[in-house]
Amino acid sequence: MDAHGTRPAGASPDLPEGRNRDLDGLLAQVARGDENAFAILYDQLAGPVYGLIRRVVRDPAQSEEVAQEVLLEVWRTAARFDPARGSAATWAMTIAHRRAVDRVRSAAAAAEREKRTTMLLPPADDVADAVEASLERERVRRCLDGLTELQRESITLAYYGGYSYREVAGLLGITLGTIKTRIRDGLIRLRDCMGVA
Amino acid sequence: MRLFGPDLHVLSGVYALEGIDDETERSRFEHHLRRCQQCADEVRGMSATATRLGFAATQAPPPQMRERVLAAAARTRQLPPVVDHARAAGETRQRRARPSARPARQVPRLAWSLVAASLVVIVVLATALLRTQGDLNNVNQRQAAITRVLEAPDARAVTGPTSVGGTATVVYSHARHALILTSAHLPAPPRGKVYELWLLGPPRVRAAGLLPANAQGHTSPLLVKGLDRGDKIGMTVEPAGGTDQPTTTPIVVLSLRA
Repeated sequence: MDAHGTRPAGASPDLPEGRNRDLDGLLAQVARGDENAFAILYDQLAGPVYGLIRRVVRDPAQSEEVAQEVLLEVWRTAARFDPARGSAATWAMTIAHRRAVDRVRSAAAAAEREKRTTMLLPPADDVADAVEASLERERVRRCLDGLTELQRESITLAYYGGYSYREVAGLLGITLGTIKTRIRDGLIRLRDCMGVA
Repeated sequence: MRLFGPDLHVLSGVYALEGIDDETERSRFEHHLRRCQQCADEVRGMSATATRLGFAATQAPPPQMRERVLAAAARTRQLPPVVDHARAAGETRQRRARPSARPARQVPRLAWSLVAASLVVIVVLATALLRTQGDLNNVNQRQAAITRVLEAPDARAVTGPTSVGGTATVVYSHARHALILTSAHLPAPPRGKVYELWLLGPPRVRAAGLLPANAQGHTSPLLVKGLDRGDKIGMTVEPAGGTDQPTTTPIVVLSLRA
């Protein structure tokens, strides 16, 4: 267990190496204006992008709207992707998460969200039935199960719930300092669990 | 690193999950990331971990979405690549990092409009706060005076870190003989003490008021009148109620060049 983030470069617990290379390569083609490459990239990314947004935003119509914006932004800004900063998958999913969070953090949405009970883990039928996706989901679930309850809850609320860490602290009734530490420790543990691919 | 407090790197996790909703806090952390390779590596690994969480949520998108996105792409012009990645990231994210440079510095023209904008927000918030406490007349006068400084043709902004943490930002106008001071992330003064401001002029030092109580790391803007050319502004820690002359070493001094 590496508690200080000194994992060597290149060993990031990202998607399987082959898939990452494919996405990076596709994105490079998209950056040159290749619409066919974009269609292939869409088929690779639309499911994860839509699924993540759906988890955070919940409402299907709004999720679709945000997902479309995100995928179009991937097209529009492909040339600005910098492989030195991470994989194409992480780049695209970061855009997706940020847009989803922006959507739910708007004041009206926040009020709406208050009324809603939080679902910590997705029901089994809430995800795509693609074999790869369910394998990935299984791996992630196993790693999440390896966390302490507090680590798991705070990471799930922050990432899938789109809550800020202040909100997470409020929801769980613990201090800001504790939340920051638990989320960091939990992510380190997740990273190491997933990194052993 | 003293400036940021000892636990800044602990933010890596919540940063990677985009769990920081405070602009200032995020900017500080991003500033820190540019200087701490180990932290940047850690964030990269955590973002990749988050990506796995995202992929685990995969769902089949509505089928009609594909045609719509591809058609939209076909008629959407792509952005050219940029060489300066830091700037590109800032642009895409629309989150402008405002690094708190160690020495006090003049704020460039463009950034100045941002400072002004955020001060206006602070003024509005402070007004809303005071409004609930009544005293509307005073508030309106104060706000008008503050607006006069902000809108002065020669208004300039300067910001600098204090030796106890946080930053002080001043917008000043020599034409209006006034300045506005606000702070961010300034720790509350020790019990029984206050922060007192001083106009440090070549002829003499004048008391310029006590910093109002700190609400969530930001003080509401303080209007200081009687600014003369050549004055600097300084802040010291003094006994509650303030003193006539500074009795301790200033925690920050900012030059107010014309």
